[in-house]
Amino acid sequence: MKRMRRVLAIISLGLPLVLFVASVGKAEDTKKPVIGLVMKSLANEFFKDMQEGAVKHVEERGDLTLIPVGMHSETDIDTQINAVENFITKKVDAIVVAPADSRALVPPLARAIKAGIVVINIDVALDEAAKKQAGVSLAFVGPDNRAGAKMSGDELAKALGPGGKVVIIEGNPGADNAQQRKLGFDDSVKDGKLDLLDSRTAHWETEEANTVFSNMLTAHPDIQGVMAANDSMALGVIKAIDAAGKSGQIKVVGFDNIPAVQPLLKEGKLLATIDQFGSQMAANGIDYAMKALKGEKLEGWIKTPIKLVTAPGS
Amino acid sequence: MLNENRGIPDQVAVSEPQRPAHAVVQRVLREAGIGIALLMLIAIFSASAPHFTDESNITNILTQITINLIMATGMTFVILIGGIDLSVGSVMALSAMVAGLVLKAETLPVPVAIVAAALTSVAVGMVCGFINGFVASFWGVPSFIVTLGMLNIARGGALEVTNARTLFEFPNAFNDFGTATLLGMPAIFLVALGLVLLGWGVLTRTVFGRLIYAIGNNEEAVRLSGHDTFIFKVAAFVISGLTVGIGAIVYMARLTIASPILGTGFELNAIAAVIIGGTSLNGGRGSLIGTFLGACLIGVLADGLILIGVGDFVRQMITGGVIILAVILDSYRARIAERTR
Repeated sequence: MKRMRRVLAIISLGLPLVLFVASVGKAEDTKKPVIGLVMKSLANEFFKDMQEGAVKHVEERGDLTLIPVGMHSETDIDTQINAVENFITKKVDAIVVAPADSRALVPPLARAIKAGIVVINIDVALDEAAKKQAGVSLAFVGPDNRAGAKMSGDELAKALGPGGKVVIIEGNPGADNAQQRKLGFDDSVKDGKLDLLDSRTAHWETEEANTVFSNMLTAHPDIQGVMAANDSMALGVIKAIDAAGKSGQIKVVGFDNIPAVQPLLKEGKLLATIDQFGSQMAANGIDYAMKALKGEKLEGWIKTPIKLVTAPGS
Repeated sequence: MLNENRGIPDQVAVSEPQRPAHAVVQRVLREAGIGIALLMLIAIFSASAPHFTDESNITNILTQITINLIMATGMTFVILIGGIDLSVGSVMALSAMVAGLVLKAETLPVPVAIVAAALTSVAVGMVCGFINGFVASFWGVPSFIVTLGMLNIARGGALEVTNARTLFEFPNAFNDFGTATLLGMPAIFLVALGLVLLGWGVLTRTVFGRLIYAIGNNEEAVRLSGHDTFIFKVAAFVISGLTVGIGAIVYMARLTIASPILGTGFELNAIAAVIIGGTSLNGGRGSLIGTFLGACLIGVLADGLILIGVGDFVRQMITGGVIILAVILDSYRARIAERTR
């Protein structure tokens, strides 16, 4: 027994060690410009795709060195601030950043700009007031979440007609893209003269959206349409509709066009979603950073494309 | 030796109460509080929330508490021995991702894939539970820290397995299980109920169960009476892992996807159900009936508050308040129980 325990002890010590595979850093090319990419949570497919798209794009370009940094969770603002400060110390030529918080990231980025580093803001725009306070102006390369949500919401309004009874499933309260999408859905409700019964957050999550929507449906059995601020939540909503035996009676629109909703688009369970070409967003940001490094003056909001995706053949 | 008649085992019968009348009073006090609170809540919502008593809403509540109930069942074993398992949400994600890959393996016929996926999920959970329990017991490390480490290992593992991709398009036969009903109840809820009853039987009707309580009360005494506490402590974590593996399969069937970020924060819901249910964080005191009622209370509260139209933020505050209230009640309950001895 004692000996067996000792053997097991060795195994349970050794196993984690095997799991921690050390990553080997690449040698940096000193001649090419160095761009630091500060990403959000790589646990999120969307940002994972974005980073992979950027790495691939940089390989194709071949005229710069990219240092990508990701976080572990959506709210890990500290890691982003540390990454920016590291990049200032490393004296990179440019930083492309998808800020986890539109205000907290402004001071470190202002320090970077003062150190002569080109900063390009992608994904979520930094707060105007915070930028003014820090005395910096920088270009934002990203999609219009509000316009996108309106495109998605308008599809629902079109399908239901005026007076259609709808609910909204919101993203994380406090997240800028969640707020923008909510505003876009509100615009659709107003323009389409829809009847908004309820609006609640499900924190971007499938399981929570499933629970929250089931309960909304109990409270309002006459719901005709749902606007979900992302596709993961739309998935949970659609499962709740199926479970309630109301498949086809309640129309759902989403946002993000993730792979998991493709079969649902085909079956007509998801009416529409929005593709904001996330995989190209960081790559776009890098292109603009290179332009700025070559002396081009960039300012304001450079909008990246968004596209409405509906069921094939509809 | 302060805990003379609180379950120090001897070779024949363990902790069979010497004065049954008092034991019954104690047990009733332990679960009555939460039971009354639950009934009051149900009464309030029945009166104030439209559709609360609809059959479809009851089905919803049962479906919604299922996963938490499954995880809380395993968690009860761990908390009874005086431990805690913070890794359950992440381990659930790891189990689901590995099982999802098995489920989507094209080389296997569908029924085989489903069985293999279920077994894999449970095996992954049990292995993680074993590591938790082994490390905590062998080196005497607080389980809080060990399972915090496992929380990160399993989450990283879940992301690594599919490179952060979500798995979907499982076989229909598998997905149908998530919405199937049996005897008018959701099939997945019956799975949870079965686990609770099984766990309850083990805890109250077997020597193993009594030793779990006894270790939580006074580990040294159990050791001195000639029992090897190591195995029982590891077993509690393995049981937690087992329920997590089952929970992962239920999650996948219910939502027809497996995402590497699923289950974030589930550990806190499970712990809340156990604590609201009157199980002491110090171990040795509590029951699965309490845990069952605790999970029901959380589910009824979440459902009812939406039905009466309480906003998201206030809802979160109320849920937090209930947890604190439960712990306060528990301290009174412990005092009264002490007095009735």
